[in-house]
Amino acid sequence: MLSSLVLAGCGGGSGDSGGDGAAGGSYVGVMLGTNVMSLDTDLATDGDSFEVIADCIDGLMQMDAEGAAVEALAEAYEVSEDGKTYTFTLRDAKWSNGTPVTANDFVFAWRRICKNAGEYAYMMDEIGNIKGAAAIVAGDEDDTTTLGVTAPDDKTLVVELEVPVSFFPSLMYFPTFYPINEEFYTSLEDGTYGTSPDTFLSCGAFMLEDYLPGTANLSVKRNPDYWDAENVKLEGISYQVVGSSDNALTAFKNNSLDIVMISGNQVAAAEDDAELSQSLKVTGAGYMWYLSFSQTEKNAQGGMLANQNLRLAITNAIDREALVDNYVMDGSLATFTAVPPQFAASDTTGEDFSADQQRFADFVGYDVERAQGFFEDAKAELEVDSFEFTMIYGNNEGDEVAKVAQAIKEQVEGNLPGITINLQPMTKAERLDKMQNDDYDVALTRWGPDYADPMTYLGMWVTNNSNNYGFWSNEEYDKIIADCTTGAFVSDYDARWSALYDAETLVMQEAVIAPLYTKANANLISSRVSGVDFHPVALNRVYKAATVS
Amino acid sequence: MKKYILKRMGMALLTLLLITFVLFVLVRIMPGNPFPSERMSAEQIVNKRAELGLDDPILVQFGRYMGNLLHGDFGKGTSLYYGAPIKTVLGQCISNSFRIGGLAILIGTAVGLLLGITAALNKGTFLDAFCTVFSIVGVCVPGYVFLIFLQYYLSYKVQVFPYFFDASRFLHSSVLPSLSLSLFTMSTVARFTRNEMVEVMDSDYVHLAESKGMHGGMLVRKHILRNALIPIVTVLAPLIVDLLTGALVVEKIYGINGIGKLMVDAIAGEGIDYNYVLALGILYSALYIGIMLAVDILYGLLDPRIRVASSGEGDA
Amino acid sequence: MADTAYTPVAGDFEFLTGRDIATDKNFASMSYWKGVALHFLNNRRAVVGVVIVSTIMLLAVVGPLISPYGYKDIVSVVDEGGRQVVARGISPQLPFLGHGSGPFADRLFPFGTDDLGRDLWTRTWQGARISLVIAFVTIFIDMIIGMSYGLVSGYFGGAVDNVMQRVVEVANSVPRLVIVSVLAIFMPKGMGLVIVALLLTEWIGMSKIARAEMLRIKEEEYVLASRTLGARSTHIIFRQILPSTIGPIITQVMFSIPTAIFTEAFLSFVGVGIVLPQCSIGSLIESGFNNITTLPYQILPPIIVLALQMLGFNFIGDGFREALAPKLEDM
Repeated sequence: MLSSLVLAGCGGGSGDSGGDGAAGGSYVGVMLGTNVMSLDTDLATDGDSFEVIADCIDGLMQMDAEGAAVEALAEAYEVSEDGKTYTFTLRDAKWSNGTPVTANDFVFAWRRICKNAGEYAYMMDEIGNIKGAAAIVAGDEDDTTTLGVTAPDDKTLVVELEVPVSFFPSLMYFPTFYPINEEFYTSLEDGTYGTSPDTFLSCGAFMLEDYLPGTANLSVKRNPDYWDAENVKLEGISYQVVGSSDNALTAFKNNSLDIVMISGNQVAAAEDDAELSQSLKVTGAGYMWYLSFSQTEKNAQGGMLANQNLRLAITNAIDREALVDNYVMDGSLATFTAVPPQFAASDTTGEDFSADQQRFADFVGYDVERAQGFFEDAKAELEVDSFEFTMIYGNNEGDEVAKVAQAIKEQVEGNLPGITINLQPMTKAERLDKMQNDDYDVALTRWGPDYADPMTYLGMWVTNNSNNYGFWSNEEYDKIIADCTTGAFVSDYDARWSALYDAETLVMQEAVIAPLYTKANANLISSRVSGVDFHPVALNRVYKAATVS
Repeated sequence: MKKYILKRMGMALLTLLLITFVLFVLVRIMPGNPFPSERMSAEQIVNKRAELGLDDPILVQFGRYMGNLLHGDFGKGTSLYYGAPIKTVLGQCISNSFRIGGLAILIGTAVGLLLGITAALNKGTFLDAFCTVFSIVGVCVPGYVFLIFLQYYLSYKVQVFPYFFDASRFLHSSVLPSLSLSLFTMSTVARFTRNEMVEVMDSDYVHLAESKGMHGGMLVRKHILRNALIPIVTVLAPLIVDLLTGALVVEKIYGINGIGKLMVDAIAGEGIDYNYVLALGILYSALYIGIMLAVDILYGLLDPRIRVASSGEGDA
Repeated sequence: MADTAYTPVAGDFEFLTGRDIATDKNFASMSYWKGVALHFLNNRRAVVGVVIVSTIMLLAVVGPLISPYGYKDIVSVVDEGGRQVVARGISPQLPFLGHGSGPFADRLFPFGTDDLGRDLWTRTWQGARISLVIAFVTIFIDMIIGMSYGLVSGYFGGAVDNVMQRVVEVANSVPRLVIVSVLAIFMPKGMGLVIVALLLTEWIGMSKIARAEMLRIKEEEYVLASRTLGARSTHIIFRQILPSTIGPIITQVMFSIPTAIFTEAFLSFVGVGIVLPQCSIGSLIESGFNNITTLPYQILPPIIVLALQMLGFNFIGDGFREALAPKLEDM
């Protein structure tokens, strides 16, 4: 039995997958941090899956080099005067089986996402505010034709919204809003869509060449029928899953891969190396790490963390610069605002929402004396002298997380004698589970922006929001956010923008969370590759303009 | 003999069924939400649970699961490779693990036997000492440590072998993992073979054969090796299960998508994937039971005493 | 025999007075163990094993104590500018030999520091300590569980044995990782979890040995004799047979300890073992692996300690086995 297995192995060796991944070929070798979980837009939830999907399928819009939304499958779009109806006109594009991409492909895909109500269905109802989406996602409405998305003809897609959403066009480059060909999909056996190159249709710059669910290496090749094929220079991309960033560094050094992501320890080594430092490129990863404090009575010694001064004491006792310099070390930015920098720029001024990191310097910063002042107040108010909290964090969320957790413990315990922090690592899923069940004191957690608007962060601290793990509640705050999403400010861009600052001030003043740092990705990019666009939102890497020499 | 085999097979099936049930119950009480989600509302999660029948009584769920299992359907992942049927993913991982594990077993057993026999025949000489040291090192240092060094020197410093596993270049890219995995088997087999052979060589019947003028290869093959090899089968069996079910760490280091890595992903990944853990648990148990059964039967064939003792019908 | 049943009376069985049975028995067992000890001490490898293991144990106790740093302390100084400088990634330096540079030039780091700036000398011995504690605790408890189980199963035989062996088979066929993750519901990750996980799996080997010994010994005359005399099962199992199984069990223990250390290392490497900032040999190897290109020296101390531990215990185990069955050694 054994020998036949081995013989089968030998036979398999002669098969050629096309892209062999080694640098030097016409394919670009790219590292993936995790396995691609799914190529179905309804099921994918991770950045790596989104990246591969976006290689192969276009949305109505795409990101340009700067991250702004520009037309892709849509040739043009119009917004009605009340801002509630978008009409997209599609360009001539083809699926890889030759059938044209029609407006119905979008209608089908979007209805399916609402109906299946998976992780990212919230882009349809909560974020996109598409008419009728909320009821379908919640399971209250079974008829998906009530969704406010219609195709009057093959080339026209009409989307109706509940309220005006100023950033709606920029949502269109997010994979959740990509089309799926209905005819092809229904012709497949149930559960097989997107599980092999044969069960997947592309209409993007690349098409799936070699893929199986759970594979550690996959590849996509240039799509000759792409509507913009003349501007795609790359022959293909060959992806390799690499589990450790040290492996990533060595794979890059021996030319096995062209683009890899490394973490802090390797960055320090790369910076010291004349050749490697040339290849190092730090790009924004978008997501912000922060501390979430549970304010409910059942946690933290009977709800001690509901005390604002105690939270302020902790947030002021953390030296964020030291965290990023000594432990994260990959170019991540120390963050002092509730909305991280570098992802949301104003439409009118073009200025980054959180460019000014000193905006809340009056409440948050590294200031041991001030921290101890808050701590004394807290002790007096609570009539307790010593505190013991448990801090939960994920041990599978990146190399630096455990280090950061430990550094925070040392800093807070050192600067605020009387506080003890016990570290409790667990998987990310367990961490989320604990936070959702409100069974934690302090959590080291993160949030990545799904779309380029501060609301992706500020929306979370509304009373009873499912992501408001601290159970903080503030009427004034709720009102501002309501005004910005569905009320008075929805059609006044600048007023909304400044109202968002008011909301952020409340979060910082009351230390609802303690923002820590905004994650960066330290990439090593081979000198033979150029033109890969890196973005902090939605799609981290885009290869349409990439070239290889 | 036939009756004995049938009885053992029946027992094995029963054990497997029991294990499947225990695993099913254990896995269903595992920690963590099957849908680790930051974006779904509580309502959505309730709907999803209902859709997958997770709120039904556990016996109903078990019945449904067994029904599907009989059709070869392990269901779909809940937080790992969501859309795809588990058997698709499993098939690929099993093939990688089995090929690499199989190669490791072949190398390990062959070289181990060779070393053990050499050592025993040259007892007390330099060769014996060398084999002993070798087998001690192999047992004392984990295989993945060897892989770390092999990968560092042979794929990074000197680029002789690929840095990562690549299923499309199977032989080339499985040299390093198979070699590192085989070391433990090699040492164990070498050590065991040597000791068994030394013992057999000192036994009365070998002395008798020698005194009757039997020497050299004939003696070694006919009397010593045959009797020394029988117990080795028992040592080898659990090693085979371990190797076939994937050496977890080796797969992690060398980027092999095998069942070991799949198991870790299913437990320590983003979320615990109920269905994968279950499928892999059943697979592992089935393999273990199957190989133990095979060993029992093989043992019966090799050693007539057992056959007689356990069944009474001594038809060869 | 059936008709004229003779009813024994107390007077039929009387101990001979004036004969010291205890001395006799004691002398015999003394000499046996003395012989074993002699054989063991004459075995060069076994003695080497003892030396290695005791040296590591000594260092595991003393190493962290004599170090100026705690195993979880991040070594740092504050420079002129008031910024914190962490002693990160310093390769092994011995200042008295003129090694070292930078702000930490005068510090002694025999094994260097890790990527967080913690002294690896301290951490390595702390890790060794944790691994040994885990190994000894689990093996000790497993010995008790496994022996009782195996002895009972072997003694009663038949249906009892059959059922008990099916349980062993089932327990043996459940993957260890599944057991670990199920356990994680009931207890937090860390040393306790590793110990319980090992407890649940390692007793099986022990019980098999005990059962085999039992099957062998229970047919011997002295057991038969005391059964005929009406001794209770517990008495026979634990007072009469148990002492005779000690030898093989100790050998098994010596081989189980390295298995436990190995398993702990494996669980920690995979990420379900020891919790930071605590460390074990396994977690140290893992972090060494994660930095092998940038800080290659980091992986060596834990691997060497692991290998030496394995070597030492294997030598001792071999020594015991040969001493208990001197025939092997005489050849």
